[in-house]
Amino acid sequence: MSGRRTIYEIYWEILVYCRTPRPFTAIINRCDLNSKTGQEYLEFLAGKGYLQAVTEEGKTRYGSTKEAGEYIALFSSLYQELFDNPPGFRL
Amino acid sequence: MHEQTLSQFGTEIRQFFLISLLNLVFAAIAIAIGVQYIVTAILGQTLDPVIPGFPVIPGMRMLSAAIALCCFGLGIQWILSTVRIFEGVVMIKDDLKKAGGAITDTRLTCLIVRMLAHYRDNRRTIRTMILVCTLGGVCFFVLGMANSLKVLSISSGGFAFTFDNLLLIPAMILTLGISLASLLSSYYFSKFARVWDQRLNAIGRSECTLKQKLGLDET
Repeated sequence: MSGRRTIYEIYWEILVYCRTPRPFTAIINRCDLNSKTGQEYLEFLAGKGYLQAVTEEGKTRYGSTKEAGEYIALFSSLYQELFDNPPGFRL
Repeated sequence: MHEQTLSQFGTEIRQFFLISLLNLVFAAIAIAIGVQYIVTAILGQTLDPVIPGFPVIPGMRMLSAAIALCCFGLGIQWILSTVRIFEGVVMIKDDLKKAGGAITDTRLTCLIVRMLAHYRDNRRTIRTMILVCTLGGVCFFVLGMANSLKVLSISSGGFAFTFDNLLLIPAMILTLGISLASLLSSYYFSKFARVWDQRLNAIGRSECTLKQKLGLDET
């Protein structure tokens, strides 16, 4: 996903994408990040316990933890609520 | 909650797609009419005054050609901006259609985030388009009237007008139709922008909750 996103939207996107463990390059490509900011975001999420780095055969993959599920659910409910309450757009 | 969100989001995307399409068609017509005016003014195919009842002013033809050229450039810029907005909406609309009624919670949230990012990217363009559509609508209205009326007299008792030629009535109706479409497009764009601005504000407020969840809240 590209475009102007908030940091919380980027965190959500990383966590959703990493439900299946992914390598660093796949994450930054998918989330349209440069390697420096990508590294910062991953370190932050790993520090909070939402991401876990797993190294297998010399390759590091990042996977979302159970704690990440709470953030994902909270984020989804907050964003979907935007369309439950008026005003809505109608022709 | 999911069904209601999906229904509301889907309806909004489809309706915004229709407005963008209408705007695209209108921008194309504006370019075509701009070209027609440039050609007419440069080749001097008409000696009629710009405003009915007023004498022909020397140099007016070149001035109207210059204005038409500006309108043409504006039309090109306008169509490019509309295409950018249109493309983004089409992609989201198609993805929503592909997912169908059995869309997952995550996929729906992903599309909402994409639409919000698309709106943030094009917020200024949409604001400009609201202004351009309003101006365009007014200009086309004046143009439609000015090209069709031979005499317009306004007195304290009322006003009277004479059509230049009955054959011009369909052309006038078309121009007035374009004018109406432009004003409608402006109205709906501003309505859309108002609703989505409110949503961006709501997201700003809900960020406090996300901040707390991530342990970033210092208070």
